[in-house]
Amino acid sequence: MTEIATREHASASLTRGDMHPEVSVIVTVVERPEPLVALYREYASVLASCGRSYEFIFVAHPFFHEMLEPLLALEKEGEPVRTIESPRSIGETALLRRGLADVRGNIVITVPAYRQVQPSAIRELLAAVDGGVDLAVARRWPRRDARVNRLQHLALHLTAGRLANGTLHDIACGVRAARRDVLEDIPLYGDFARFLPLLAIYNGFNVVEVASEQHASDLSSRVYRPGVYVRRLIDILGLYFLLRFTEKPLRFFGLIGSVLAGIGGIALIVMLVQRLLGQPLGDRPLLLLAVLLATLGVQAIALGLVGEMIVHFNASRRRSYRLREPRAPRSESARNS
Amino acid sequence: MPPFAPPELSIVVPLYNEEESVGPLVEAVRDALEGQPSWELVLVDDGSRDSTAQVAGALAAADPRVVLLQLARNYGQTQAMQAGFDRANGRIVVSMDGDLQNDPRDIPLVVAKLEEGFDLVAGYRMRRQDKIVTRKIPSWIANRMIIWLTGVRIRDNGCSLKAYRRDLLDQLHLYSDMHRFLPALAAATANARIAEVPVRHHARRFGVSKYGLTRVAKLLADLLTIKMIASFRESPLAMFGLGALLSTLCAGAFFSAWLWPFVHPSASRDGSTMNAYVLPGSALLCVALAVFLTMLGLIAEEALQKVRGEDQLERYGAREVHG
Repeated sequence: MTEIATREHASASLTRGDMHPEVSVIVTVVERPEPLVALYREYASVLASCGRSYEFIFVAHPFFHEMLEPLLALEKEGEPVRTIESPRSIGETALLRRGLADVRGNIVITVPAYRQVQPSAIRELLAAVDGGVDLAVARRWPRRDARVNRLQHLALHLTAGRLANGTLHDIACGVRAARRDVLEDIPLYGDFARFLPLLAIYNGFNVVEVASEQHASDLSSRVYRPGVYVRRLIDILGLYFLLRFTEKPLRFFGLIGSVLAGIGGIALIVMLVQRLLGQPLGDRPLLLLAVLLATLGVQAIALGLVGEMIVHFNASRRRSYRLREPRAPRSESARNS
Repeated sequence: MPPFAPPELSIVVPLYNEEESVGPLVEAVRDALEGQPSWELVLVDDGSRDSTAQVAGALAAADPRVVLLQLARNYGQTQAMQAGFDRANGRIVVSMDGDLQNDPRDIPLVVAKLEEGFDLVAGYRMRRQDKIVTRKIPSWIANRMIIWLTGVRIRDNGCSLKAYRRDLLDQLHLYSDMHRFLPALAAATANARIAEVPVRHHARRFGVSKYGLTRVAKLLADLLTIKMIASFRESPLAMFGLGALLSTLCAGAFFSAWLWPFVHPSASRDGSTMNAYVLPGSALLCVALAVFLTMLGLIAEEALQKVRGEDQLERYGAREVHG
């Protein structure tokens, strides 16, 4: 992974002395951003009312350069805000990772640059994390938004949602809170940040959903360009493979391959028998189809075998399990209000 | 704190929903190892949903020789075993089931056999106390296939009671469902010296069996993987080259079948001479497969060149220590 060079506008010093804040909020500015200063004020007031010290890190796609200007002004006024602008066009996951590299709080909240739930939801998320939950995610419930949105929601949960065995009901909600070490332990790459709760579950973390009131600005219907849906579909396929078959590629490719090769093989045997009984073989297009299926099947199995070989030789360097650490009650970051 | 002295013997027991068995198990191990040199018992809780972790935790707290590891979720028996192996400090490591079907009194037996100069000693179950149709027959078939495919003559791969030398475990890294094929893997990749001893087997006293009959497809895929690793780990290109060769032969057969009537017009009883698509098309598909397999073999060599080098270094290093 190449290091992402970034233009960092912020100086490192915090406003409230040099103490580390308790809570770091990472805002990834990558799609449909709303005015960021207002967003900041809303979340900050909730955090302040909880009596937490906090910092905000805005990590932005270069396309939204202009939107960062008012934040710079805020920062000059001494608000605990930092802005990081990626010099290249990178995705949400890379932005999040960049933000994570800079956080100082023991608890990290991630929010998108648009409002999905009432900001007060983070109060309950923080309470859940304090109570020992590894990752708390907001769930927009009850849903009140446009039918198109809910249809897309349904599609997402019929596909990616199945990977969670019914424990997650709103994967697409980006308002999440976790201990920093949990986020650092979850391998984030590709475009999988949006599926963070799923990755957390598969890494053995304890994930809890908190029902939160949907924000008024999240209600209008959203339809994306076709390309977005194609990308999402590919993401889900990749995620499915990653979570289910990383250690056993042959079970995935082998299943596809043996079905194809099986159909092809049976057709070939039937035609061979018919040929022996005297029916000519050379002018039957079915032969072509059977050979095609058989070769495709063999190709799939061969790919699976290469996958198995790669897994076998890399087994020594990856751990296929995670131990549960005995969790000490939160003391070092106890509130200092 | 006393200075840390690694025990001679580590017992690794994966546990999944065994709250009733843990207590008797620890008791039985303690009785069985009375008078043995220093030992430790590593219990690995594989994300149980019942109170296994609490019961085992209490036992571990009461006896310093008992250690409890907790996996973050239910990963499976292989991962639980590997976690136990990673944690075990003993020069000799013994693995066994947590459901009391293995008898801890057999531990000294397998250890004694190991001391005769083997790297791995596998128990095989005498008078196995399991259902015939769902357990014994599938198991028998699987064992025959493993012997046939890998040449490692282990009668009972499904028996968890095994003893290993630490050096051997350091060279093996279990993943997926590979614990069942551990002897075959050990023989193929680490040239382990393997022996078998008969062990006792009891019927389940508590809980339900955690296996089903629906594992055949998975087993077949795993067997294919084991076979490949055993035969072609040194040269994946050889395997794919072999496939490419077979495919080329098929292509040749199709071409010949097509051309034959041209050579012997009298033999054209297929009536296929006029069809310029089916037979040559099939031949070309086979050629394409041969090309694909060859390229895949080259890519596999390329992708594995570096890791295989390190892998071998690691093994040679281990061999030297071994003496």
